Amino acid sequence: MNVEYPESILPDSILLDEQHEISLNELAELSGLSLEELYTLVDSGVLLPNNPEDAIWHFNSHYVISVRTLFRLKQDFELESSSLALMLTFLERIRILEHQLNRH
Amino acid sequence: MKFKDYYEILGVARTASSDEIKKAYRKLAHQYHPDVSKDPAGEAKFKEVGEAYTTLKDKEKRAAYDALGRHSAGEEFRPPPNWAGSQAGYDGQAFSFDDIDLADLFASFSKGRRRPQQPGQQPPMPGQDYEMATQISLEDAYHGTTVELSFKVPEYDAQGQLKHVPHAFKARIPKGMTNGQKMLLRGKGGKGFHGGKDGNLYLKISFIPHRLFRAQGHDLYLDLPLAASEAALGATVKVPTIDGAVNLKVPAGAKTGQKLRLANRGLPKHNQEHGDLFAVIQIVVPTSLSDRERELFKALADASTFNPRANFE
Repeated sequence: MNVEYPESILPDSILLDEQHEISLNELAELSGLSLEELYTLVDSGVLLPNNPEDAIWHFNSHYVISVRTLFRLKQDFELESSSLALMLTFLERIRILEHQLNRH
Repeated sequence: MKFKDYYEILGVARTASSDEIKKAYRKLAHQYHPDVSKDPAGEAKFKEVGEAYTTLKDKEKRAAYDALGRHSAGEEFRPPPNWAGSQAGYDGQAFSFDDIDLADLFASFSKGRRRPQQPGQQPPMPGQDYEMATQISLEDAYHGTTVELSFKVPEYDAQGQLKHVPHAFKARIPKGMTNGQKMLLRGKGGKGFHGGKDGNLYLKISFIPHRLFRAQGHDLYLDLPLAASEAALGATVKVPTIDGAVNLKVPAGAKTGQKLRLANRGLPKHNQEHGDLFAVIQIVVPTSLSDRERELFKALADASTFNPRANFE
């Protein structure tokens, strides 16, 4: 069961995992990516909202880590926007594999 | 302020073209970027490389950097009077350069160029995000705890001078953490300037290795040594849990590696439930035997028809 933080009344600390949620605006604010870039990632099927049918999207809070990394890589390597979806696919794959490694 | 040779850091000549600077930066970024490199010194190295590139890729900043003159890396220096960066508020005479470094100088240089004349109308600058790691004990993860965090952040003082000041505070770690869990502390990063939001702190929590328990997610594992007789006959043994000892019934014929589950004796989850505790059986024998024990083991060996290596045949 996901624990959802209400829009714009986020607590002082947020656990970044698969049990907690943040909104699209929060993800943009925390990661540094623009809303437009985030929409493109959702359209590419790489960034998955928990409620794709609703007007205000929510995401698992673990995305903050990989989307922030994505933003850093974009800035530091001067990446094209078109490569962001591919990059996030790999970042998520690494996150899941590292998670599995930690469990064994 | 200590001098840094940005050209040397990027490994290019002072006459390098902007393409050569970009190429050198990209190569070093692949080598040292903390998201890409496994080099433990990569992060510090990339910070230097990034700082050098940020200054040298910008024509005006590069000219201002060149105007600082040539010094040896690490040499104490101050910008010459009437240096280009004086527009940012550094006039070379009245300003103290002791608490800042070259990166701060150039960051303020670009802000200074955009700074309007009237005070109070500067563009908002969000504070920097920080990442830290902290270790907590398994007991603290079980009950929740408070950790003290401290690091230095750049801030402007009342005179408008940039200084690195210690930033210390306590952070509440709720129960229900797993090893490697990350959390975000809002507004606990660097101070925002001119109305910009304060940065955030990303905290990675890991567990101090425990004498008895190993954590996997919310489940805990405990090695449970049993004497051969306890394993063969079955026994009720006292086993420790984080929340105090409990009695565990071991069935007769227990095997090494077999896991006995103690439901809800693991770490708490966020939804009020708990993980489980698994006692992993290890059959052990005494390293030295008394005469009586030796005699009884011998009698057992003679009487037993048990073949522990039946699978070899």
